[in-house]
Amino acid sequence: MNKTIKVLALLGLIATLTTGCAVNRATGSVDPSTNLAALKTMYVKKIPDDDNTHALIADKLRSKGITVTSGVEPAPSGVDAVVTYIDKWMWDITMYMLELTITLRDPKTDFPMATGNSYHTSLTRLSPKEMVDEVVDNIYKGAK
Amino acid sequence: MGPAMRRLLLTGGALLGVALTGCSSPASREAMAPPDLVVSQQHRHSLRVQASGGAETSGLDSSNIADADLKAAIEDAVIRSKLFQSIVQGDDGDYELHVQVVSLRRPLIGGTLNVELETGWSLVRRTDRAVLLRKSIRSTGTASMAEAFAFVTRLRLAVETAARDSIRQGLMAIADLNL
Repeated sequence: MNKTIKVLALLGLIATLTTGCAVNRATGSVDPSTNLAALKTMYVKKIPDDDNTHALIADKLRSKGITVTSGVEPAPSGVDAVVTYIDKWMWDITMYMLELTITLRDPKTDFPMATGNSYHTSLTRLSPKEMVDEVVDNIYKGAK
Repeated sequence: MGPAMRRLLLTGGALLGVALTGCSSPASREAMAPPDLVVSQQHRHSLRVQASGGAETSGLDSSNIADADLKAAIEDAVIRSKLFQSIVQGDDGDYELHVQVVSLRRPLIGGTLNVELETGWSLVRRTDRAVLLRKSIRSTGTASMAEAFAFVTRLRLAVETAARDSIRQGLMAIADLNL
């Protein structure tokens, strides 16, 4: 009887712990009314508490030939897109980025012209730079 | 603590763990379609619907909105409300509606669950590719322990509520257009 209970308890523990393991997701899409190639200047709107994600996004976009500035203030006039992002972090031995969503928005209307998302749980975690690379590359892959 | 109490706690803990971490299920197309949508006007045209940015739901993942399910839910709401005369598939139709899932923020734990959804809606006239609508729609969904005990079910209900509200807002905005 005692053995059965221990096995049950172990199964419950395994079920609880493994539900966070090895889920991978990466998507990117561009609204058909948007010409991504025409967006040459962008402003990355920094989240006040963010340390470095905004800088990684800006660097990645610069590598695609885009002129990028960033800051916490409202976007300057004249930019083609405002870049917003949501990064979700988790702890498992060390902190890691669980999920990242990046959105390119129309500066005048806030309309989401393109968006990308990556989600990797602990066992298949990526570095913040790899997460940014994956999301931005998926957005540009989605461009027609 | 006596052996009987210890056995009870261990068994209870195991069962609770299994019950609370059961498999996730995706937001259902039927539940995402607003059932009682009344629109301000009905357009005498045909519509093609596309959806993107969503994701499938695996058993270990949290509830997502799949593109095919979002598309079907929007089409169902358009047909029920008679917002457009007909829905067409493929490269046809007088107008093209594209709905993009921008972000879906879900809690990892909690009793009453609050979900935040943002979608981007664009409507294009096929003949001249004129963009008639570009709109960001934000909606929320809540589900409490009274609605479902299992976390995964509660989360799915909250996601479906947010999606339903998003579809309602989007189609109301299109109904206000003079096409």
